[in-house]
Amino acid sequence: MAAISSEAAADPLAGGLTLEAGAIRRSDGLLYALWGLFWVLLIVIAARDYFHGGGQQLWKPLFWEGSSAVFSTLLLVLQRTAGRRSYNRWLGEPMKWFGHHLKWLPVCALGFVVVVYGVRHGVYALLGQTYRHEPWAFVIGYESLKLSLFIGLWLGVIFSFDSFAHWRAQQQHLLALQRALAESRLAALSSQLRPHFFFNALNTISALMHLDVARANRLLTRLGELLRASLQPQGKDLVPLAEELRLLELYTQIMLERFADRVTIEWRIDHALLTRGVPAMLMQPLVENAFKHAVERGRQRVHIEIAAVRDGGNLVLSVRNTGSSLPPDFHEGVGMRNCRERLQVLYGEAATAWLNGSATGVEAVLVLPCREHSP
Amino acid sequence: MIRALLADDEWAARAKLALWLSEQGDIDVVAQCEDGIVAAEAISRHAPEVAFLDIQMPGLTGLEVAAQLEQGEAPLLVFVTAYDAHAIRAFELNAIDYLLKPFDKDRLLLTLARVRGRIRDRAAAASAVATARAQTHSSERLLVPDGGQLQLIETATIEWIEADDNYVHVHTLSRTYLLRRTLQDLLSQLGERQFARIHKSAAVNLTAIRALAPLFKGDHEVQLGSGKTVRLSRRYKDALFARMQR
Repeated sequence: MAAISSEAAADPLAGGLTLEAGAIRRSDGLLYALWGLFWVLLIVIAARDYFHGGGQQLWKPLFWEGSSAVFSTLLLVLQRTAGRRSYNRWLGEPMKWFGHHLKWLPVCALGFVVVVYGVRHGVYALLGQTYRHEPWAFVIGYESLKLSLFIGLWLGVIFSFDSFAHWRAQQQHLLALQRALAESRLAALSSQLRPHFFFNALNTISALMHLDVARANRLLTRLGELLRASLQPQGKDLVPLAEELRLLELYTQIMLERFADRVTIEWRIDHALLTRGVPAMLMQPLVENAFKHAVERGRQRVHIEIAAVRDGGNLVLSVRNTGSSLPPDFHEGVGMRNCRERLQVLYGEAATAWLNGSATGVEAVLVLPCREHSP
Repeated sequence: MIRALLADDEWAARAKLALWLSEQGDIDVVAQCEDGIVAAEAISRHAPEVAFLDIQMPGLTGLEVAAQLEQGEAPLLVFVTAYDAHAIRAFELNAIDYLLKPFDKDRLLLTLARVRGRIRDRAAAASAVATARAQTHSSERLLVPDGGQLQLIETATIEWIEADDNYVHVHTLSRTYLLRRTLQDLLSQLGERQFARIHKSAAVNLTAIRALAPLFKGDHEVQLGSGKTVRLSRRYKDALFARMQR
């Protein structure tokens, strides 16, 4: 059970990413607000220092800090779009996440000096003044150091924002998965064998007792075996295909006792697959449906084919029956839905299930990864 | 002798019931049927006094068989079912009895005691038919004789119905079926929503009416989609006009 849930949790992370995108976008508003506040603070401090230093022209500190702010905001927007798209897959590995971001640091520092100082020189020139600063070597060193500290600080903030959103999305996804798992387990348990089946089988036995004691005894034994199997603890979700087929055989043997002249059953099994793992009693509802919709309701003889074959890396399980069709306003029943949910919980996107209706009958197909069963 | 019919799609179930019924001495099993259509046919052919109907059967379920019976001529109905909580609840109120599978001989004897006490009790049989009609979509499909067989037709395809002594002619666009039913009982099965009586001996499908043309003295003629016209008597005129204006 523990193995199953960790597998289930690891597998559908791809699905979790879409969820995560929404969560991150919501937190972006807060990030930008913080950013704006930070820059207002910087500008106020710069203006105060400027006045304290005896400066008279208020536009100067505003312009210095403003040009830095515009360039930095450009960097932030770049991170929130392209950077996030490329690097957020490494949120689980902080070293890589920071590494991928920091490799752009030299480009950013150089870009900052060229663009911001270029703009400042240009604007001063336009106003007929000269922008004075320290020698270029000092400027590049000083600004690079300042920018490194600044970017480091903000990357830390961004990382905590994004990884929190990521963690929360994962948590929600995990909760949803666990709930689906619990529900499908419950549904699987209750849908495995309908009470109808048991009461009818009991009635057949009660009738056969008066007519053919040996047959009645045989049927009672099969029913006992099936009951024992279905009452086994549900701890193990996966069983070898051979065991799944044995239960199906017990079930069909009982149904054949009841409907011998109305149904033929064909098994098309690739014996190399008998050791592969499949969810326990996965095909049971499908075979039950074939009996319920075709054999029990139809007046003609029905043919049911139960197949387990391999298709590349996949195991294809199918139940095909003649003598019934999907009505135009068809809604999928509980049996098929449970099958699909169980597959979804265990295999995520790697498994599919569908129904095919045609003029000659109905086919239920389950495709799941072909894996060796490990007890 | 009480004439009994039994219908179950499993031979073993039929054999057991037939065995126990024939042991009784006063019960004659006149027919054993393996599906619903055969059962409906056999009931009309043998007119048994009691019918044991399995609910889950191919063709027609036991409930659907019951729903198609003429109330006035239905046998006492005993439903036999493995597990059908919904139907059981309905029949606790109205059927002469129902047997839950598997049942033993004592339980069957109890049923037979009830059957013997109410044999030829029309009201008991009729109320079981009425319950079965309410439980199934009996107003949507009608069992009609076709050659030597019975078949189900969609009631929406019926254009009008004409009474003729103890029989009714059911006219669809393509053909006419003759049923041994009373018009009143057939209308009660088909329901008030789709059909309206327009004459002592005629009823029409409301959706088949193309026009109402006045004749003299307040009589009218109903023109149907197929071109057929049927007389609307004064007695039913107001009711029909009121329904057409709805």
